[in-house]
Order: sequence, then structure tokens, then C-alpha cells
Amino acid sequence: MKKLDKERVLLAVAAPVLALAAAFVVTALVLLATGKEPFNAFGIMFDYGVKADSQVYILNKATTYYLAGLAVAIGFRMNLFNIGVDGQYRLAAFFAAVVGGALKLPGLVQIPLILLVGMLVGAMWASIAGLLKVYRGVSEVISTIMLNSLSGIVISYLLVDGRLADLDKQTNIVATDPLPSSSHFFTIPAGGDLDPIWGFIVVAALAGAGFWFLLGRTRFGFDLRAVGRSESAAQASGVNVKRMVLTSMLLSGAMAGLIGMPTLLNDTHQFTSDFPTGIGFTGIAIALLGRNNPVGIGLAAVLWGFLERGANRLEFEDYDKEIVGVMQGVIVLCVVIAYELVRRYGLKRQQQRVGAELAAQAKADKGTDKQEVPA
Amino acid sequence: MAYPGRSGPRPAPPPSAPQECAIKAASPPKGAPAGAVTDVAVELRGITKRFPGVVANHDIDITVRRGTVHALVGENGAGKSTLMKILYGMQRPDEGTIAIDGETVELHSPADAISRGVGMVHQHFMLADNFTVLENVVLGAEKLHGIAGRARARIKEISDAYGLGVRPDVLVEDLGVADRQRVEILKVLYRGARTLILDEPTAVLVPQEVDALFDNLRELKSEGLTVLFISHKLGEVLSVADDITVIRRGTTVASVVPSETNPRQLAELMVGSELPSPETRESTVTDTDLLVVDALRLTATDVDGVERAVLDDIDFAIRKGEVLGIAGVEGNGQAELVEAIMGMRDPDAGTITLDGADISHAPTRKRREDGIGYIPEDRHRHGLLLEAPLWENRILGHVTEEPNSRAGLLNPAAARRDTERIVAEYDVRTPGIEVTAASLSGGNQQKLIVGREMSHHPKLLIAAHPTRGVDVGAQAQIWDQIRAARRDGLAVLLISADLDELIGLSDTLRVMYRGRLVADADPATITPEELGSAMTGAASGHLEGPADDGTGAATGTGAGAATGTGAATGAATGAGTEAGTATGGEGR
Amino acid sequence: MRRVSTIAVAGIATAALAFSVTACGSSSEEGSKDAGIGLAYDVGGRGDHSFNDSAAKGYDKALKDFDVKGKELTAKDGDTDADRYDKLASLAEAGYNPVVGVGYAWTPSLTKAAKKYKDTDFAIVDSVVDAKNVASLVSAEHEGSYLAGVAAGLKTKSDKVGFIGGTDSALIKKFAGGFQQGLKDTNPKASLDVQWVQVGSPKGFGMPDRGKDIAEGMLSNKVDVIFSAAGGSGAGAIEATAGKKGTWSIGVDGDQYYDKGLAQYKKAILTSMVKTVDGSVYDFIKSVVKDKKPESGVQSYDLKRGGVSLSYSGGFINDIKPKIEAAKKKIIDGQIKVQDTYKD
Repeated sequence: MKKLDKERVLLAVAAPVLALAAAFVVTALVLLATGKEPFNAFGIMFDYGVKADSQVYILNKATTYYLAGLAVAIGFRMNLFNIGVDGQYRLAAFFAAVVGGALKLPGLVQIPLILLVGMLVGAMWASIAGLLKVYRGVSEVISTIMLNSLSGIVISYLLVDGRLADLDKQTNIVATDPLPSSSHFFTIPAGGDLDPIWGFIVVAALAGAGFWFLLGRTRFGFDLRAVGRSESAAQASGVNVKRMVLTSMLLSGAMAGLIGMPTLLNDTHQFTSDFPTGIGFTGIAIALLGRNNPVGIGLAAVLWGFLERGANRLEFEDYDKEIVGVMQGVIVLCVVIAYELVRRYGLKRQQQRVGAELAAQAKADKGTDKQEVPA
Repeated sequence: MAYPGRSGPRPAPPPSAPQECAIKAASPPKGAPAGAVTDVAVELRGITKRFPGVVANHDIDITVRRGTVHALVGENGAGKSTLMKILYGMQRPDEGTIAIDGETVELHSPADAISRGVGMVHQHFMLADNFTVLENVVLGAEKLHGIAGRARARIKEISDAYGLGVRPDVLVEDLGVADRQRVEILKVLYRGARTLILDEPTAVLVPQEVDALFDNLRELKSEGLTVLFISHKLGEVLSVADDITVIRRGTTVASVVPSETNPRQLAELMVGSELPSPETRESTVTDTDLLVVDALRLTATDVDGVERAVLDDIDFAIRKGEVLGIAGVEGNGQAELVEAIMGMRDPDAGTITLDGADISHAPTRKRREDGIGYIPEDRHRHGLLLEAPLWENRILGHVTEEPNSRAGLLNPAAARRDTERIVAEYDVRTPGIEVTAASLSGGNQQKLIVGREMSHHPKLLIAAHPTRGVDVGAQAQIWDQIRAARRDGLAVLLISADLDELIGLSDTLRVMYRGRLVADADPATITPEELGSAMTGAASGHLEGPADDGTGAATGTGAGAATGTGAATGAATGAGTEAGTATGGEGR
Repeated sequence: MRRVSTIAVAGIATAALAFSVTACGSSSEEGSKDAGIGLAYDVGGRGDHSFNDSAAKGYDKALKDFDVKGKELTAKDGDTDADRYDKLASLAEAGYNPVVGVGYAWTPSLTKAAKKYKDTDFAIVDSVVDAKNVASLVSAEHEGSYLAGVAAGLKTKSDKVGFIGGTDSALIKKFAGGFQQGLKDTNPKASLDVQWVQVGSPKGFGMPDRGKDIAEGMLSNKVDVIFSAAGGSGAGAIEATAGKKGTWSIGVDGDQYYDKGLAQYKKAILTSMVKTVDGSVYDFIKSVVKDKKPESGVQSYDLKRGGVSLSYSGGFINDIKPKIEAAKKKIIDGQIKVQDTYKD
């Protein structure tokens, strides 16, 4: 048994390492094809990525990405593809910014209130897809993609001068009322003249721990994972699958509601028309990369931040900036493939071992049989 | 427990009978029955196949004489199917040689095997429903005799020669199971096979159809063809085979001739130890109703959008300590009945009462917590999380109960400990509890499920095909578990396609046909044949067995109340040695 | 090393990646001065046939005229202010001077960068950043659009006029507002049909098919003059009006009569509302590189300064030139105050 475990750890580490190695090889080939020297590019990314201000940047980026990865992973753990995280977090951040900008309460009250609004809006928006799936059998993939579009339209309807936002005529920027400074989240100074690290990283870490505890240590989490592994077996075991679909959609949406919060509370302090988009989709890649595991997602989020930091530099060094997009895509593909291969290999290995041990047992039995024959 | 702690080296088998020593030689006995052709059709020597998940084949030696029916018997998971796949070219052996008609061959594909005259009839038919018999037969073999007149003539010729009675122009979807099987056989013969492999051909047939099949096999044999017949039904094997090879744990352990053996001996060869002697059963049926199903009705919409009753006016009661067996050809509503009682389907009408409480519309989890144990028909779909470790599978279905959790929180340590206990007590053969359920063989998966369900001391156990795909040792053990729990007042709803199991285990029998309970029978007197004809809808009401000699009958605690027909069927007890022999002796 | 250790304490996950161990406390900031011109495009970048390209034109001209080098960076979808700041800081660090942010989305990041790199001269297009070393290059799109509205009001026969905006952003509403006012002041009977290619998404600037569909819909409702402020999508509208006799398009940003890609439809281009982003960018670069007297503060490219204008190419509106020039004069004199946003 010990040996099996050791092997499993080895396999678990092998998958991402193999995937990254393969991704680097493929990217190197792409770089070569574009007539650039690949190792120089990796060198630039690495040199730049490890610098102190880059580390701050990466951690801050990773905070957002981590929450996005968690939001997607909740769905993934029960085979639910919440593609709508993107729309959920944007709508949530928008309404949270509107509420936060309208109130002037002490931070201790207002910050939790803003978070709550964000999570509620995210959950409600996600619940539309959940309800459609449970009561009308609509695939959540289709409905959440449509809801992404819808959320964009809702925001652009409301984010208009005189509705829920104001236009700064000088800068042409339409934004919600800025949060009072009491609602700014704390930051962790990084020393020197570096930007501080967003305090929301603490919330993200807590969310990760909560995710692990909920899924790994509670009855509810067991039920959720059971549905993900086999809906029919879970139903027979007594899980109300429909309710579980709805609940996990709500949870995923609530988590998605947090994605915009580090940006809102630690950075922009208001919602503008150029509030970052597409993080929900990044979250899908990160959840895949991190294998829906809270620690894995954390590593994936940091890696993603590192790559983007490197991308900015590569563009500056006259490499095509798309190369990092290619690299990110290749990494995700390689990881998905590598994990699947390793999973199958592991299962086969395990079956072989079980088979081998039983066969050895059988052989021993047969040996005793034979000895007894002459008796 | 019948076999406590069998995780270490297995106990040495009891001293063998001298007779067994004589037949232990792994080659055919010298004095083979006269009259048969003596040359060899197929010879396997030293076949070894290392294969994930199941016991590896090793050192297999089999000699199949031409013009005989040769049976290959062994527990499920013993390696029979793998061996046949090797012979049919679907898998390559790692070691060993295959000789066909005295010539050593290498088979790379089924096409290779067919060209050598070896054909296979699979357990699951491979026919296109919306094609005619003729079209199915020529499909993929168009070059042989074309697709029209010549093909039809050839089919007719084969059909007449072996008495198969196949009609070329009927749509396959209009054929019954037995007819389809004959089409499969014809398909193989059409392609020129001289040696036929039949993989568990009787599993899908009712007793009458089995007899007809055996007549066909004898016909084939008399025409000089060779049949390799895989089965674990020893009674059938003994009635049709000329030679029998026994496989245990991946290797051949004996070759015997039917005239020199009996079912019990064969079973012992298969299991490798002496079978438990059939116990004399005493009635444990009490007067307290535990489960009462009243006028249960369930409708479902079929593919054509027509609403159809899949369960109609189902009435029955199971008392504490009673095993109620439901017989029926699969697809007549048994699965739906189980799902309605488990709460996986919501009935349209009627009530289900468990221990006095109405649970007609209660959620599944509530029912499980209230004491319903469930051994599902399809353990992969309903009983296990295949990719989860064993200890997580131990939690499945009982996540709200001790020792798995407390106050909403899982208790993995306790669940692991208890899994270790189940693995030991129920003889689940596994290297540990961290392996995935998928890596266990079917029988061991089933033992884990039974262990899990029994560990929560259910009031009612729903056992759907509890020993399907389970080896003889595990089968007897599972039966023992059910009997033991029944003594403690467990009520059991038993659904099975295995009529011997039903008759041997049940206190009361009901027959289900097209969503209704159409007949009831007394397991003490009924025969599998009678039950079989009721299952096809040919008989209904109370089924009378052959003239009852009266022994052990009429103890007064009969199943009358349960069946609701008012007939005092009595004699739930005292199946005595008769039924015992049926289960133990013909044990698979 | 002190900085790094602080980070290491705070950075929960970084430790897992080896690079935090090898970090050597140095910041990514380095470089020398006078490396050339730094230009940071908005999403879409060079080649968008619209706003960014217009800036690129001024930049290219400056490179040639002043014989300097330059570097172009482009923002991408999903970039945060931190990403944008990173780009501007990279340019400033590497010694590029001046540094131009093309588009109002650079406002927060450029504000921050200007504060940090006080020796670098910045400019921002279409927005205002209040700092000594920043020139804010804003155009009076509404004023130019007013004139387009005058032309449309005089040229329509059906008294039905259309406006196609790429997206419903504040900037495009500036076009729509001026156009609406110019139309109403000239031809009170005329009705205006306003449509957006995409709501809430800048994708609406690159969908010629959709632009054509919308224009054809308008034409079938008897609209006979269409003003498109929709980047590449406008080309579809121009194609649609070219396909129906007696209908006109009004171009935008550049003088689209001379656009090679639209040569076959130029007979349908009544006029163009020319916005000289290229000119404003060029002027700014010139002030820094050649004149050594960097522009600063708000540089308003309005009608008066010639930052926006209506073209007479093709001669289709020569007949109404006096009326247009009269309106232009009134705006410059302040007699007409043009609204800078559109209201239904």
C-alpha cells in the first residue's frame, strides 16, 4: 500500500511537470517558426518575472485568478460547466460598486456589505441557468453563454450617465460613484516604492480553505463530488441531484461574485466601462490547470500571472505578444492531455497491481493444492 | 460471518477426495468416451495473459476434440472470457501457443480466427434491429454468397441442416431473444465456422429456451462441428457437454467428463474448497408487516411519447424476517418497482409504507436513513463511484450516518477504519482501501456493496440480482449474509433472474409480467420450469407445484397474507434439502 | 533583500514557485533616456482601420520627419489598469520620450505613470489627465458632427436620417449628440433613427456585415442619409447606400472619399466628418522632439483649431457650402452651443 501511495504522489507531480515541459517545447517550436530565438524569450520572461515589482504584480493578478478558478471549479467538481462566471462576476462587481458608491458607512460594515451584494448578485445571475437546467433541461453551457451576453447588455444599459453612473466629460469615462475611502480594502506594503500587495489575497486564501473544507470534509461536499463522479449513483445514494445542481450553481455564482472584488476594493474603487473582462474564461483555464484542487488552482493562478507579466515584457522586446497567448493555450491543452494520460495510466497500473497481487495469492493457493494432491 | 478474515493467504482446502485427485490432470482423460471423433480441433498450450483488472490467465492447457461440445466452467472473473477472446483473436496471449486443426497459428484479429474456422457468438448480440435476418447475416460477408438469392439459399440450407429454424426475411426487432441467438449462430456458420465459441449463451434464456438451444448444439455436434461453451451453470454444463475444463483463478485446474462427476464436485473444483453444506432452513417469517405496497402505479412516457403504465396495481407486503422473491423476465417493471421503493421515481398512485410510516413520496435519503438497504441491479451505475477509493464508496449512500459523518462533517478516519473492517469481514480481495472501486473485480465490488449495506443494519433490504456476475464463493457468502440478517428480522425484497436463487432464498414468490404481479408461487414446491412459463405470461394466479409429498408443509406461517390471493400457500419453510440442493449443488 | 523577504511573507503561493527564491530584490526598472517615441494603442491596435490607425498615421509621419525611432505597445482585452500602467512604465523606463496613450482607457494608468516619471512627456488622446507633464489631446467630435447634421438635414429628401454608432459609449454619443442637434436646427421636420452595432462592447467597431444589415434596414424605412461613427462597421453602411440610388453615407474619422478600400463606393459618400487624431498626435510629438517645448494641458482640437472638419471631397455638398460655413462660424463664435451627448 505504501508503495502505491508513493507512486500516486509521483504520478500526481509527473502530470503538470510533463505538461509544462511539453508546452515549452511546443512554444519553442512556434517561436522558431516565427524566426525568433526561443530560449532568449524564456530568459526574458523569467528574468522579468522574478523581479520584485513583478512579484507584487503576479500576486495581485493571481488573487483575482484564484477566485475565478475556484468559482469554475465548484461547477467542475460536479460536472457542471459554468461558462457564465464571466457575466456573473461583471454584473456582481457592477452592483457591488453601485451599492458601495451610494453608501457611506464605516468600512467594517460597508466592506462586508459590498462583498455580500457581489456574492448575492453573482449567485442570482447563476441561479437563472441553474433553474433553467433543473426545470427545463436547458444545458447550462448554452444558457450561461447567453447570460454572459445579457449581463453585458444589462451593464451597458445601467452604466450610463444619469442612470447608475456618471460621465466625466473631460476623460470620457463613465463610472459608478467611487467608493468612500473607508471602503478601500487594506493593503500589505511590499516595501520600497513598490506597489502594495492587495489585502484581498487574504480573502482569496480563506475562500480556498473554505472550498477545500466544504468539498473534502462535509456531507454536502461528499454529495456534490458524488454527483460529479456519477449522477446515477449519487441519486441512488440519496442525493437530490436537481437541488444539488441548483445549490452548486448558486455557490459557483457567489464565488464568481468575489472575482471582481479585489479589483474593486483594492484598485479601481469604482466600476468603469473598461472594468477587466474575460477573467471568467481565464478561470476555466486555471481550474483545468489546477485540477479543481484548491492548492493546484493557487499554483495555476500564480503561473498564469507570471506568464502575463512575461507577456508584457515580451511585447516590449519586440516579440509577438500573441506568443504568450499561444503558450497559455498550449499549457492548458498539454495539461488536460497529460492529466488524462496519467489518470488512465494510473488506473491501469492500479488494476495491474490488484490483479498481480490476487494472481500471486492464487498461485500460492495453487501451490498448496498441488502439494496436497499426492496425499 | 461465514468466512471471517480471508484477506491473508487462503486457508488450505480440506483434504480432497481420491476421485478428485484422479481428475486433476490438466489433460483430457485417456479413456475418453468412445464414438466421438478423436482428432483435435483446438489445442491451447501454456497460454498466459497479463491483463489489468482481472486475474491473469496463466499456464492454460485445453484440448478440444472435434465434434464435441466442450464446456469451459469457472467462477466469474476466473478468466474464461479472456481466454475465449484470445482464441477468437481479439487479444494476443503473452505466452503460449494456439493450434487449430493441428496447425499452430497466430491470431491477430477475429477475421484471422474466422478464416481458420473459429467463430464466436457473443453474450450480447450484435445485430441491427431494423434489418432483416438475411441482411444481418450477410452484413460484412457480402463477398461469400452475394446479398440476395444465393445468400438466401445458403441461409436456408444451414438453417435446415442444423435445425435452427431461421426465417431470412423477418425483421430482427420482431424476434425474441432465443431467435436472435439462433441468428447469431447462423451468422457464424454462414461465415464458414467449424468451431463455435458460445459465451454464456444461456444467461438470457428461460429454461425451455435453454433446452431448445441444447438441441441445436447437439445437432451441430452430430454434423461434425465443435462447440466451445462457456458457462457457470453447472447443471446445464453437465447435461450438454462431452468434456469439461474447469478454470480457477486464471488457470486450468481440471478436465473432467460429465459421467464421472456431479455438480457439487464441479463447484468445488471451481471454488477450490469445499462448498458450504446447504442449511436446513427454518422459517423466520414473523407476523409484523414491514413493507406494505398498496395499489402502486407508475407511468412513464416511452420514446413515441405515449404514456404507459410500467407498474400497475402492485400490491404486496413483506414481513419482518421474510424474503419476498420477484421473478420475471427483465424489463417487466422490476427495475421500476425497485426505484419506486427507493424513492428514485415518484409513483403516480398508491402508497408505500415502511414500518408503519408512509414513505410514498419521501426522498431517497430519508428512506435510506429509515433503514432501507439497497443492492442495486447495476452496481456501476447505481452502487459505486468507480473512480473513487474504496473508503469513499463505503460512505456512498450512508453519508449522513455513523461512522461516516457526525453533525454534517465527514469523518474520513472512522470511515477508513470501517472500510478496513468490511474488507476483512466480507472478504473483499483488494490490496488496500485506497484503490479505486474500478480496479476490483465484479464479485469483490459486490461484496463491498453488500458489506456496506449490511453494516447499517437495514430493516428492509432491496436486493436486485445480488449475485449477478459474482463467483460461487462470494455467492454463497452473500446468500449467507441475507439469511443471517433475515433471522434477525430483516425483510428482503429479492429480484433475480436466477430462478434457483429465487427459489432457494425466498419465503414467498411473486411473478411480474408487464408491470403487474400476475402470479404467486410457493418456493417449496415450484420448479424453475413452471416459474419460467409464468414469467412468459403463460400462467397466472397461484402456481401449483408437482404433487406435494407434504413434508414440511403447512406450518401455518405461510405466505397467504402476503400474496393477497387468499390462498394458503403455506410451506414457506421446509424447502429443506430439496431447495438446498438446488442452490448449493447447482451453485454457480 | 529586505523587500523580497517582505513579499515572501505576504505572498502565500509564490513560495511554491521557485522564482521567489531566486529573486534578487532588483526592480524591473532600468534603461536610458531618449530611446525614441513610445506609443501605446488601445485594444485593437494598429490595423483597426479607425481610431488607432489614425494615431499610427501621425506617429509614422513623425518618425519619418524627425528621423527618430519608436516603440508601439497595444492593450488587450482584459487588461487591468495595472497592465496598462506596466506598459507605460516600461516605455518610460526604457527612455522613450514622449509617451502617448491612445484612447481614454489609458486615463488612470497614465495619471499614475505621469506622477512617477516626471521627466517624461506624456500625451493622452480623447481624455484629460491633469498633470504638468501631460498633454490631453481632445477633439470636439460633437462640433464636427453638428456640421454633418446640417449637411444631412439639407440633403435628405425623405426627411428621414440615420445614425449608426459602433457602440453606445460616451464618446460615440458625442458624435450622435452633435449630429442630432445639427439636423434638428437645420431641418426640424427630419426624424433621426439611431442604432448601435453592439451594445456595451467595442466589437461593434469591426463588424461590417452588421453595419450593412443595419443600414439596409434603415434604407428600407426610407432613410436616405446615414452617418456612421462605427469604425470598420461603417464600411458596410457605405456599401449599402452605394447599392441604392439617391441615398448617401457620411464618413467618419478620416476623409473616407479617398479611402482606397472604399473607392468603388465613393460616389455614395456625401462627406466625411474628419477628426484629426493623426494631426494632434503629430503636433504633440513635434512639440517634444523638434521644438523642445512640449505641449501640456488640454489641447482642444475643435472646429476653431481645425481638429475636426467636414470634407468637401467629391463636391456633393458644394451647393450647400454657404450654409455649412455659416453654421461653422456660429459654433466658433459661440453662438451655437453644441450638446456633447445624445439623448433619445
